[in-house]
Amino acid sequence: MDWFFGQVSTLSKIFYYLIQVVHWTILISVLAYLIAVILGLVFGIARISRNRVVKALAGAYINVLRGVPLLVLIFFVYFGLGKIINLDRFVAGVLAVGVCYGAYMAEIFRSGIQAIDYGQHEAAMSLGMTRWQTLRHIILPQSIRIVIPPGANEFIACLKDSSLVSIIGLRELTRAGREYANQHFLDFQTWLMVGLIYLIMTLTLTRIVKYIEKRYAVVGYGADKK
Amino acid sequence: MIVEMKNVTCRFGDITAVDDVSLSIDRGDVVVIIGPSGSGKSTLLRCLNALEDIESGEINIDGHLIDRDHKDIHEIRLEVGMVFQQFNLFPHLSVMGNVNLAQTVVRKRSKDEATSVSQELLGKVGLTDKIDAFPNQLSGGQKQRVAIARALAMNPKVMLFDEATSALDPEMIGEVLEVIKQLAEDGMTMLLVTHEIGFAREVASRVVFLDDGRVVETGPPDQVFDNPQNQRTRDFLAKVL
Repeated sequence: MDWFFGQVSTLSKIFYYLIQVVHWTILISVLAYLIAVILGLVFGIARISRNRVVKALAGAYINVLRGVPLLVLIFFVYFGLGKIINLDRFVAGVLAVGVCYGAYMAEIFRSGIQAIDYGQHEAAMSLGMTRWQTLRHIILPQSIRIVIPPGANEFIACLKDSSLVSIIGLRELTRAGREYANQHFLDFQTWLMVGLIYLIMTLTLTRIVKYIEKRYAVVGYGADKK
Repeated sequence: MIVEMKNVTCRFGDITAVDDVSLSIDRGDVVVIIGPSGSGKSTLLRCLNALEDIESGEINIDGHLIDRDHKDIHEIRLEVGMVFQQFNLFPHLSVMGNVNLAQTVVRKRSKDEATSVSQELLGKVGLTDKIDAFPNQLSGGQKQRVAIARALAMNPKVMLFDEATSALDPEMIGEVLEVIKQLAEDGMTMLLVTHEIGFAREVASRVVFLDDGRVVETGPPDQVFDNPQNQRTRDFLAKVL
């Protein structure tokens, strides 16, 4: 019994220690994801542009960033670019994760846009709408609903991958976990708690996404089927 | 003359969908285009609002030109309304939203102005009680009537109907044809592709029979339907009548 309460006390101490830095993990993920959404939208649209140069540039961005490990990208931005333009670890970490996830988001936006029936474009054109007006008023509002589930998956993946920036010394959840484990020789308990905190965050996110999907469903259209 | 096509040809790769077609349409004319499937009826219609590019020839709609040197695509689309077989309503917008959108975005009408136009037109097609409904809550016939109101809201000078009743259940066809007939009586210039021969006979001022992308025969409905001059027209009518 004493052993049990001892463990509970140790675990709660660890939990209390880790929870003090969890806002860094959240902040890094949210900022990186915001960058990813903006880049994704821009490059997703560029990918299906009629302008060949724009299209090729977007293709290059997507293929290069998807083909390089995120860890290597983080090293490149912090140690490589950081040498030239002096980036601090936070900016470098957020930028690397954001730019990497931007490539995934671009593909999600592209497929979301292309999933819309071509008849929608034709109806809009026949009403005299330009390509931009069609995209803004007809296509994107419908694509968003298609993009929400895979887009939210990317946010969850992004939150987990934010642990990689611990390697450049950003003191977020994983980094704090390593410090604690090394100081107290409590690897099993510490990593258990680190994992648990990530899990709590990702499961909460999953619930929020479900709610958003329901909230923005249109009657008889797409995601409102239970 | 409000629509004039001169030697219009439209190709998809090796296939010539519309082959050297010339056609003049006066204000208030109701032209029904008939012909076997694959004869280029829909393509001909789609050329008229530049949904398909023409390879050669000239299209003039109320002074706006599409030919080798002119591409007044935007102006022409403003003059020409189109109703599609598959309705193509915007599923994320309510009935009112569907009819309002292009009025505010393209015609730059204020929201109030657009709403009053929409209300009037939705009343005209008998859907006043469905203003707040979403497209997927409507029957096929109701959807198509919304699509007609949406096209009319832009004040087109010409309306194109591309097999507007072909995707409808039989009991819904009547209500859509009724709206089209009303438009004809109001003097709207229209081109219709349809398989409803009885209806064509009733509303058409002229019938055009198309085969293999070419105009084979054209004339008033009595003449084309009752006394066709061309063998291919006779063969086609023998199959559908």
